[in-house]
Amino acid sequence: MEPILEWLAQTDIATYFRNSRWGFAAVNTAHIFGISILFGSVLTLDLRLLGLWRKVPLAPFSYALPRIAAVGLALAIITGLLLFSVRPSEYAALGVFRIKLALICFGFLAALLAHARGSLHNDNRRQQIVTGAVSIFCWAGALICGRLIAFMA
Amino acid sequence: MKNLFSKTMIIGWFAVLLSFLPLSAFAHHGWAWSTGGNIELTGTITESKLGNPHGILKVEVNSEIWTVEVGQPWRNERAGLTDEDYAPGKEIRFIGEPSSDESERLLKAERVYINEREYALYPDRD
Repeated sequence: MEPILEWLAQTDIATYFRNSRWGFAAVNTAHIFGISILFGSVLTLDLRLLGLWRKVPLAPFSYALPRIAAVGLALAIITGLLLFSVRPSEYAALGVFRIKLALICFGFLAALLAHARGSLHNDNRRQQIVTGAVSIFCWAGALICGRLIAFMA
Repeated sequence: MKNLFSKTMIIGWFAVLLSFLPLSAFAHHGWAWSTGGNIELTGTITESKLGNPHGILKVEVNSEIWTVEVGQPWRNERAGLTDEDYAPGKEIRFIGEPSSDESERLLKAERVYINEREYALYPDRD
């Protein structure tokens, strides 16, 4: 793993963002955009799955929000890779960073499973509550761990 | 089950979640973790990691290794410092705020002195 991390740190793009003031600031800002798009949409869907706003049909939530979330996740992953490339070995060694990655993977797999089982379209209340709760746990946890990186690294 | 996920309870869950956030008496970010007072350190740089999000030096001070946080590239450049000034082996003096946990031997530099010339990383701080 270490050789890959060292190679990544030496790439031109990593060197650029390690030294550029506004380039780094721009990627940082875009990363937060990605996270806010992702978390805002996921949270809204999850609260509906948990039982809020039962008067409003689930269908519009499960149509629009996963699509917005996917865009946010893609943006967060691309910008996250760029931020990671600036100090790969340090971040990879960090406990909160590893927990964050695990939560993202788990949250992503849980979302795929929910779609595969049709949890966003059927009337299985139990399944919806579990889906919403697992999702909030993963994405809020990933956000908290991500913010903590700045206070540990 | 229904009670557990009522509106009030959901707000409660979030309050619990958010209460974990102010654990942030950690190192590095901003100035909240430091003592608020300045100390002086003189030593030899043993290790240097420069670049965003901040530059980190290891400095040997009276046979103790200190971690010294210096500027990001733009801040070092504004102060008139080059990467060469931070190279291992260089003699260097710092004035800055240490971590309030003394055992960390961690300093955030406000001013750097090389051959008695001052380089101000944070010109507006005392």
